[in-house]
Order: sequence, then structure tokens, then C-alpha cells
Amino acid sequence: MDKVRTRKPGSSSFNEALSSLVAIVVALIFLFPLYWAFSTSLRNPIDTFTVAGFGIPWIDFEPTLANWISQLSTPEAARALGNSTIIAVFASLLALIIGTPAAYALARFRFRLIPNRDITVWFLSQRVLPPVATVIPFYLVMRSLGLLDTHLALILVNATFTLPFVVVILRQTFMDLPMELEESAFVDGAGYMTTFLKIVLPLAAPSIAASGLIIFAFTWNEFLFALTLSSKNVITVPIHMAGGVDSRGVQFWFMAVRAMIAMIPPVLIALIAQRYIVRGLTLGAVKG
Amino acid sequence: MRWTSRVRFLFLMPAVIWVLAFTVFPLGYSLYIAFYKIEQKVEITREKVPVLDENGEPVLSKSGKPRTRNIVHKNQVSTSEFVGWFNFKRLINDPQVWSAVKVTAIFVGVAVPTQLALGFLLALLFNQHLFGRPALRAIMILPIFATPIAVGYLFFTIFYEEGGPLGFLGIPFLSNPDWALFSVILVDVWQWTPFCFLVFLAALQGLPDELYEAARLDGASTFDMITKVLLPLLQPTILIVLLLRLAEALKLFDIPFALTGGGPGIATQSYSFLAFRTGLRFFDLGYASAMAYGLLIIVMIIVTLFFRRLRETYG
Repeated sequence: MDKVRTRKPGSSSFNEALSSLVAIVVALIFLFPLYWAFSTSLRNPIDTFTVAGFGIPWIDFEPTLANWISQLSTPEAARALGNSTIIAVFASLLALIIGTPAAYALARFRFRLIPNRDITVWFLSQRVLPPVATVIPFYLVMRSLGLLDTHLALILVNATFTLPFVVVILRQTFMDLPMELEESAFVDGAGYMTTFLKIVLPLAAPSIAASGLIIFAFTWNEFLFALTLSSKNVITVPIHMAGGVDSRGVQFWFMAVRAMIAMIPPVLIALIAQRYIVRGLTLGAVKG
Repeated sequence: MRWTSRVRFLFLMPAVIWVLAFTVFPLGYSLYIAFYKIEQKVEITREKVPVLDENGEPVLSKSGKPRTRNIVHKNQVSTSEFVGWFNFKRLINDPQVWSAVKVTAIFVGVAVPTQLALGFLLALLFNQHLFGRPALRAIMILPIFATPIAVGYLFFTIFYEEGGPLGFLGIPFLSNPDWALFSVILVDVWQWTPFCFLVFLAALQGLPDELYEAARLDGASTFDMITKVLLPLLQPTILIVLLLRLAEALKLFDIPFALTGGGPGIATQSYSFLAFRTGLRFFDLGYASAMAYGLLIIVMIIVTLFFRRLRETYG
């Protein structure tokens, strides 16, 4: 839905053209770094620094998939993708399973000892917590449990980080659902649990799925804890990315491919969950 | 009307217990070790063992004695000693800490206001009829979810001084200390301005049409419209975005890790980066915990300042 705003009558079409032009230039500036990774990834190593202009494939250089093939065919890349997928899937599921009922409780029930909104803000405050404050105790605990360099450690950590997000965001979702359906289910004799599972969850399914995708992306991108808790076996995609600078110097062409591999899944998620991004990233404070 | 059945505890408690176990407990543990000096040492002991052949018989040397070889045992030993407030006192007198505080303060102080201002201006620009607006808006979403560590390395290639796409500017993006911090800020502005933009655009689109109409009929100038109508109406949204960006910016770690490695020297070593290095590279765990607590306290102060606003927003 387009809304015509701060526009003065008379000069509309000229203004619109000018604004559109500015907006296109702005969007291209923001797109450029991603485009540059794409362009570099398609170049022959010897072309990396010699390509002229904006490095447009076919115009400025002859593109090749050689870098992609050689990077994707390494066992390390395959393992990193596998590890990141396993960790992100299970951490997201875990956070959803624990967080969704809590969100529902805060949306529908009244807590007496501590008011609902204070519990909500308590969950919210976990989200702004600097991770470096918990990374050291996590490292010590995981070490003494013998969980360093395991999938489980990173699944637990990422579920912990994303849980507050799930609680706060889905609480808003449940509050936006009309209560009548649940109340008529009670009249029909259904209990709270049945009503939650059979009526509320299906209604909230799109939002739950969108939240799941967003926390999948958060987990996929997580770096500090993966760097701390893993060493050899459970290398994730961002850690693999960081390994791109080795003793042979910086290999820009491989780095570009790795950057693309790392960024494609979360960026695709951002596009798929577009409608939920604003609400998600402001934790429900602003409806997009 | 809200329900009061006891079932509510069954719904809520798993999440509460989870946070207590995986966030509150680690934070308490961290505070505890902040009062200790923890040292990790590798104890090396050598043991002489006889060399055996494939039948399990000792191999004899020419002189007839059994041959032996050395086995090196490496044992990681950590010792901890209660040191009271020592780590916190050290924190205050450590020039590295003050350098990291300065880096982080400049970063937060420049990057966050820039993102908010730029995001607001772009939201105003996009809050009109535009050619291809959905596609342009979709492009603006891309940076937000791009893996930060990959973004750091990606900009490393862009800022590369010999042959990078910005090489023609002749700017020492990564080799000069001041420019390096500027580069870190620029990357963060690239990644997070779109977030501010999207939120502000959503808020602007949420305002009623009549508002713009009324302002136009009153003959309000665009400037008046922005400063006297839109900014006050968007104030709650601006505060939430400010809080989220402040909290996030104070965590700064991934971008300097990838882009500059904290350098040149320690010119871009953020506070989180320093705490990470101290704790998990030099294994001065007690001191690093005290350091991390310093940051935690600053974040807690900021959250407290915003607390009433948060309660209203999420109440």
C-alpha cells in the first residue's frame, strides 16, 4: 500500500522521479559489498586485482565457477555446512519448544507475584546481555562437563541466546490472536493444554515458523561462542570463514566464495521472512 | 481478562528454569571467578619406558641394556587463588582497558547516531511513491542478516589498499589507526542503517493518512512536518531502536576480529575483543571475568535508563 506523504502539489512527477533516482542510488550503494563478493568469487585468481571498473561478469572479465567448485568440494566446507545446519536446526527447535509455551503463558495468564510485564522485560533483558559476559563461565562449565568441541554445547548455547527472542516475540503474536476461539473451546470442555496445542498453535503457526527462521539465522551467524567452544570437530561456517586467512596470505577469491556460502542462507531467510523482520528485530515493539 | 489457572506455571517454568540455569547461573559463576586469580599451566613430566618389539619383548641395545624412550605427559593444571578486589583494581589501572573503552565509546558514539539519523532520512525518502519500491526495500534488508564475520572479511577485500575497489581513493583504510576505526564504524553503519531504516519506515507507514493531509492543509513545511509532527510521534520507536542498537553496538566483536584483528596495534580492539583475548587467548580467566562484568554493568545501566519505556512498550 503506497501512501503519498510529505509531497507538495504541482511538482509531484518531478519529485517522484528525483526521489526514485536517489533511492536507487542508495540501494545500489548498500548492495555493492554483496555484489563485490559475488563478482570476486567468479574471477580467476589472477584477475582479482586487475579487473577494471565495477567488475561486471562477462563485460569486465570472463567469469569462472572454478573457485566455487574448489571450495565446495573440500571436505572442510561440507563439514562446516553440516555442522552449522545441525546446530542451527536443533538450537532453533529447542528454543521454540521451550519458549512458545512461556510466551503463551505471558500472553494469556496472570502472574501475581511478579507482574507479567516485568517477567517479559526480564526475558527481554537477556537479549541485550553482552555475550562476552557469559562466554568465560560457559567455557569453564563445558570444559568440566567434557562438552568442548561438541554439537551439544553449541546447541545449548544458541538455544539460550534465542530463547528470550522467542518468548518476547511470540507473546506479542499470541496477544494479537482473538481470545474467543480459546474460550469457546473451554465451553466445549477442552483443557488449557488441548486448546493450546490444537487451536492456538495452528493459528500462530506462520509467526512461529517465521520466528524459527529468524533464530536459525541468528544461530547460523553466531561467531564468538563457536570460536570459544569448538576447536576441531565442530567447525561452523563462520569459523570456517575465519580460517580463510592462512599462511599463504589472503586468498581473496576463496574468501569471497566462503563469504557468499556463509551469507546466502541467512540472507535468503531475511527475504523469505521479510514481513516479520521489523516486528522480529524490534522484539514486537514495532509492527512491520 | 487474564486466566489464573495453575497451568500457567507449567507453561512458563521451563523457560524460566532454562534462563536461570544457562544465563543467571553462568553470570553468578562469572562474578565468583572475578574474585580469583586463575592460572592455567601445562605441567610437563617425562617418563622413561622400555621399547618393546612386536612380541612384547624389551628391545636390547648394543650394550645389552633394555632400550628406553621418553614419553612426555602434558597435564593442564589450573590453579585458582582468592584475590578479593584485585582484578577490579587492575581493571581501573590497565591502559589496555582504557584504550578498549575509548575504542568502544567512539564506535558506539559515532556508529549508532549515524545509523539512526541515516535510517530516519532514508525512511522519509522511501515513505513516498517510488519507482520499484518493494525491490529497493528488499535490497535494503540484505545487509541486516549477512553473517557479521563474513561481512568483516568481505570488507577486508573491499578496503584492501592495493587493488581493492576503493584503492583509487588512496585512503589507508586498515593500516592507519584512525582510519581503521573509521572503517569498522563504516561496516557497522552499512550493516545496521538498514535496520533503523526498516523500523522507521514501518512506523511512518503506520501513521494515519489524515495526519499528512491535515499538516498539508495547515500549510506546514516539510521541515516543520518532520520536526514538529513526525519526530515526536516516532519518539517511542526511536527510543526502542536506540536501546537495541546501543546494546548491540556495545557487543562489538566480529567485525574488528575479521576486518582488522583489533589492529593496527590495538587501535580497533573493542572492549569485548579485549575481554575475549584476555580470557580465552591468554587464559587470564579471573581478570577477563572482572572485565566482562564492567561491560555488563554499563549495559545494565543503559537498560535501567530505558526500563520505564520498556515496561510501557511490552506491558
